[in-house]
Amino acid sequence: MGKPPRAGGFGQFAHPSNVGVDVMALTILDPTNGSIDGASSFVTATRPVTLDGQTFGIMANGLGDSEIMFDALYAKLSEDDGVSDVVKVVKASVAVPPYPEEWDRFIASATVAVTGLGGCGSCSTRSMRDALDLEAAGIPAVCIVHTALVPAVRAMARLVGCPDYPIVTIDYPHNPTGVWTKEEALALASEIAPAVRARLTQPS
Amino acid sequence: MTLGAPARTFDTADEALEACFELGWTDGLPVVPATAEAVSAMLAAGGLGPEEVLGTVPTRNVTVTAEKAAINAVMAGCRPEYFPVVVAAVRAHLQTKANSHSTTATLAGAAHAVIVNGPVRQEIGIHCGQACFGPGFRANATIGRALRLVIRNVCRAIPGELDRASFSWPLRYSFCFGEDEEATGWTPLHVQLGYRPDESVVTIQSVMRFLQVTEFDPSPEKILDAIAEHGRHAGLQRDEWAGDGRSVVVVIGTEHQLRLLDQGWTKERMQNYLWPMMTADTVGKYDNKLHLADPANIMIVAAGGPGIAQSWLLVPHLAVPTHEPVQSPVTIAEGSAP
Repeated sequence: MGKPPRAGGFGQFAHPSNVGVDVMALTILDPTNGSIDGASSFVTATRPVTLDGQTFGIMANGLGDSEIMFDALYAKLSEDDGVSDVVKVVKASVAVPPYPEEWDRFIASATVAVTGLGGCGSCSTRSMRDALDLEAAGIPAVCIVHTALVPAVRAMARLVGCPDYPIVTIDYPHNPTGVWTKEEALALASEIAPAVRARLTQPS
Repeated sequence: MTLGAPARTFDTADEALEACFELGWTDGLPVVPATAEAVSAMLAAGGLGPEEVLGTVPTRNVTVTAEKAAINAVMAGCRPEYFPVVVAAVRAHLQTKANSHSTTATLAGAAHAVIVNGPVRQEIGIHCGQACFGPGFRANATIGRALRLVIRNVCRAIPGELDRASFSWPLRYSFCFGEDEEATGWTPLHVQLGYRPDESVVTIQSVMRFLQVTEFDPSPEKILDAIAEHGRHAGLQRDEWAGDGRSVVVVIGTEHQLRLLDQGWTKERMQNYLWPMMTADTVGKYDNKLHLADPANIMIVAAGGPGIAQSWLLVPHLAVPTHEPVQSPVTIAEGSAP
């Protein structure tokens, strides 16, 4: 005999006619696409020893004032590390992939890359996907993410089977969605440059 | 019919229901147990095999099959005859320009309006009149909920994972209504979109802002001025990717319908009147341009009931309104599917 029905339940009410009556087992179907955790076969791209002579790719989503930060980041790494050139794509909307022709142009030139800004729900996850797609194409990459959106990009990393994929974060008091002053954006570039350098090169 | 979804067996219906909550399969409300029999009936009503692909969300590695849509439609409480409308809604939502990833992961918590036109409204009882945005109408409530459960369960838009809404909002439980085509004699939305009047069509509009416009002045111009003014309060920025397709939906309520009809206004005249006002250059913080490429990007729908002199604006997220014909098993068998 099955367990007695509980009062107030949705499927089987404690009606007097049910007392002492066998309750049929119920088989239901899974409505989901399964676990968010993808197969752990993801392999990241091989890092260069240094950024000297590398072509710096910026896969930007145009969020807030983040483009100012990315441009300044290139200038900083060019001056400090000898990054030799830059290729930049500003996507047509914050949470879409680049157009195929933009992607082709980007991966034909970039030897290392940053993506972002991961500052809103859809753009952070899409920028994380951009970074993971670049890794799969053999280009070392890192997504720049505000701490408020770390759980979002972690979900995306789990989805492709790379849950611990490293990111570089920006924290409060900076606004998550990139609404910054120009001075703030420039300062942020200098602040994150060491972490970006460390992420895009081989561990020393 | 052979189904592919994993199955779980429980001693009682209560246990099955509690498991749906614990497994994260619901929107927080009870669901109907998705038995193989119920899911098969749903698929049969749609004339679809379980493996039929309704669409994808590439950013998330997601493919939505008819079987998964049917399971979620059962759970939402749909009757089998609703399923062709659910399928059309899911297909429309998964069109590229509907931007599923963006509209369901956004901090802004956009909702999705399912707007139904054509004979299917009467055939399955989709409500178009008094209180049509709210609870009380099974077809409206469960079709809108089925789309949301597909977005949650299949497309992975779960709060804390890929649903990143800061607040989210009640429209995300369910938002489905029909156009009251018979109330006005205006050209129905789906006919303006190029369909025949006797076709049934689902239009999906992402909803970033849901704006109430109450205007008691009986002048059609004053009513439309108020609609434009409310729209301009927030404005609508241009999005390069969405391009010229981005649109607002204006739902004209009964009292406003009557005033406009009294003066012989058509939808086309309303669109041409509203467009220059809505698209005029930004003046200040609360008087902003709506970037709408053409008067046709103001999509006018008649709905609601008598009483308050009210209309509503559905302002989009980063998406274009998309539409799909409702395919009955008969039309699919006859090969009229696109």
